[in-house]
Amino acid sequence: MTASQTTPAVRLEGITKRFGDVVANDSVDFTLEQGSIHALLGENGSGKTTLMSILYGLYDQNEGSISVDGHEQTFDSPRDAMEAGVGMIHQHFQLVPSMTVLQNVILGHEPVDNGLINDGAARGRIEDICSRYEFDVDQYLDTRVEELDLGAQQRVEIVKSLYRGADVLILDEPTAVLTPQEVERLMDVMADLREDGQSLIFISHKLDEALEIADQITVLRDGEAIGTVDTAETTEQDLAQMMVGREVLFDRLERESSTGDPVLEVDGLCMRGDRDRRQVDDIDLTLRSGEILGIAGVQGNGQSELVEGITGLRSVEEGTIRLAGDDITGMNRRRRIENGIAYIPEDRQSEGLVQDYSLVRNALLGNQTIAPYANGQILDWDEVSDHAAEIVEEYDVQPPNPDATAGSLSGGNQQKFIVGREIGHDPDVLVASHPTRGVDIGSVEFIHNRLIELREEGLGILVVSSKLEEIRKLSDRIAVMYEGEFIDVVDPDAVTEEDLGLLMAGHEPTNEPPQQSDPQPDGGGSRD
Amino acid sequence: MLSATVLERIAIAIASTLSAILIGLVIVAVAGYNPVQFVNQLVVGSFGSERAIVRTLRYSTLFILTGVAVAVAFRAGVFNIGVQGQFIMGGFATVVSIVGIAPLLPENAVGGTILIAIGTLAAIVAGGLYAALPGVLKAYGGANEIITTIMLNFIAIGFVGWLVAGRFNDPEATATRTRQLPEYVELPSPIVSDPNFSLVGLLVMLATVAAVAVIMARTSFGYDMVTSGYQQSAAGYAGVDPKRMIVSTMTFSGVVAGLAGAVFVIMIQGYYTDPSGVGNYGFDAIAVSLLAANNPVGVVPAGLLFGGLESAGSHIQINSDVPVQLIDGIVGLVVLFVAVPELFRMIAKRTGLGGENR
Repeated sequence: MTASQTTPAVRLEGITKRFGDVVANDSVDFTLEQGSIHALLGENGSGKTTLMSILYGLYDQNEGSISVDGHEQTFDSPRDAMEAGVGMIHQHFQLVPSMTVLQNVILGHEPVDNGLINDGAARGRIEDICSRYEFDVDQYLDTRVEELDLGAQQRVEIVKSLYRGADVLILDEPTAVLTPQEVERLMDVMADLREDGQSLIFISHKLDEALEIADQITVLRDGEAIGTVDTAETTEQDLAQMMVGREVLFDRLERESSTGDPVLEVDGLCMRGDRDRRQVDDIDLTLRSGEILGIAGVQGNGQSELVEGITGLRSVEEGTIRLAGDDITGMNRRRRIENGIAYIPEDRQSEGLVQDYSLVRNALLGNQTIAPYANGQILDWDEVSDHAAEIVEEYDVQPPNPDATAGSLSGGNQQKFIVGREIGHDPDVLVASHPTRGVDIGSVEFIHNRLIELREEGLGILVVSSKLEEIRKLSDRIAVMYEGEFIDVVDPDAVTEEDLGLLMAGHEPTNEPPQQSDPQPDGGGSRD
Repeated sequence: MLSATVLERIAIAIASTLSAILIGLVIVAVAGYNPVQFVNQLVVGSFGSERAIVRTLRYSTLFILTGVAVAVAFRAGVFNIGVQGQFIMGGFATVVSIVGIAPLLPENAVGGTILIAIGTLAAIVAGGLYAALPGVLKAYGGANEIITTIMLNFIAIGFVGWLVAGRFNDPEATATRTRQLPEYVELPSPIVSDPNFSLVGLLVMLATVAAVAVIMARTSFGYDMVTSGYQQSAAGYAGVDPKRMIVSTMTFSGVVAGLAGAVFVIMIQGYYTDPSGVGNYGFDAIAVSLLAANNPVGVVPAGLLFGGLESAGSHIQINSDVPVQLIDGIVGLVVLFVAVPELFRMIAKRTGLGGENR
């Protein structure tokens, strides 16, 4: 497995990919050894999928080179990549649901005799592949794909790639849609494939899975390859720090610790996520006016669900939420906005702004029932227009043109506009989810300073971020979230980087650094 | 094209209409008729005389009202293909309610006005409810509204047809139809005297266009609706309940379609027949709306175009040997040139199929 003398299966050198102004990959180097599993680890938006889409011929890189089995390649399309033996299993399966498994596997590569598809030959080859890897796919070749569960569909995807002669397999977040049992099964399959000499790239943001299966792990952050480590020589804690950043460049901002009355109280909150998994498990939280409470954690540990529960975008299973003492648990999103919960969403592109609307029209988003922008049902566009112009000026939005469409702005300027809009109507609570993700440095500073000012003015602010430096810079207290629970609440001045890293990986800092073999299953919550 | 500017839209609409007519003329010539004469007939038949103009306005009134009904739904990203069914249910409800209540009221202009109000209200309620049904099915059952609304068109045709032939049949009429509205139930007809057209009907149509335009542009409800059409996730973020929005949108659209049905009955027909013969206003309305980029104000010129072509069609049918199918063909070409690509683009954007957003 340590095949440094042999030619690597895949070698990416200096890959840079830009989308407009945004650098998705910044001269990334990546080497996949023959017959090994290499995990590509990183937060959402760190550039993992972009990098792999370049390898699979979906995107052209701006700079850098790709070699497969020692030969430099340029892939204009996935077909080229497949011919070179690279297969990709996408997060959203590329199967035709109404067609049978057999039809899906041979689609585009049908064995043909005199113009007719030779089913028999295809069956034979698929059965060979299945018996080699102990797959069950051959048992339901004539079943329609839509009748299979997701784990089985994934195995069909893998067989499809192997059938097309892939010896390098890219699996994009393959565990995201699977149940724990299916995940285990997938891990076995991956190990079998490796044994047989296949080379695999495993894209994930889950530390424990990467540690369990991979031989090597490369961590991406903000489009850069932070480092590549051998699995045997690393820990969850190291990886967590690599993912969220360890260089603490910012000073803690000066502040008076004069917090006021509780504005937001969450009590025993339980919530389920999209796949009906318990994602928020018995969370208690109190946010006072004039306080910033930071929620740290590796992505996917229930932060998004918690935020959606508080802002009214997702229903709550158990527990209560109180705003300034009043129970708002059953209140809909609109009434919560009217009652003073402002929200900077995690996904500004799809939620925070309507891309095809002008900034003026976007200035009304969320405010369409609030005076002075609306009198009853009737909108006052003059007021909205003035408001948009104010935001643009006060928040230095570039270009300074309220009639520009939101989609034409850079990420940083979009975010500044959202911040300006959300605090425009004097809220009591601000929930800021990843407020500076994908935002340029200048705007980061600006947004941070603005958040601190708002805190001084007595707003209660909840900041969710996966950037450690941001959380430490802004927060009065830090709650670390792991598998749906607050594993600890710490003082940002007292806690060390190492302790935070441990907490984010689900371990109490007082414990011995854990052995990676047993990452405390069922630390809480996922009991289905 | 979904994000084309207003001027580009207008240019596209005009260019495709002209192309459709040009190709139509080639076909006319190939079929052995004189294309110059045909153009002449088109113009004369749609705007060449007072009668032609009135006829054009009559058709246009219905195309515009049903077109606005479609535009409302499409702007909100809900594909109401069932305007024809809502139009039929609305019109039939008008006949039933007026014929049923007429004996209770004085047989004069006052009674007539009250009956018109009742009949219109009945149409609005019937159209709204008939559209709310697929809205509820989509919002709470996940049923695709394109399919359910198409099916409900057939159900409306069959259901009303059955009632017209049975329970509500006028035994004294030779044809299969309902009893006629009393003759004092008619719109006042200033300036233009035509049994099948009234300026009041035209004004009702224009007022509806204006009201819908104002609701879409200047109310929170309209903003919620349009935002849902542009970007569902952003609408949810802004406090819109997507399920209720679907039902409200469908109801709103059905109310306008029902109103069109009432205008059809009160201003034009005066009774109801087998609904497979009342014209395809609700279907052509889809093309009208798409030609207007689903803008309620833009529906006015688009509806006039369709009304003019329809009007010219009936003129040509009587006054020349050119088959009326050629007119239908030209309308078909207009639909093919603008409406169909736009419709598929919208559906693709909505369903995530088609690849543009991947």
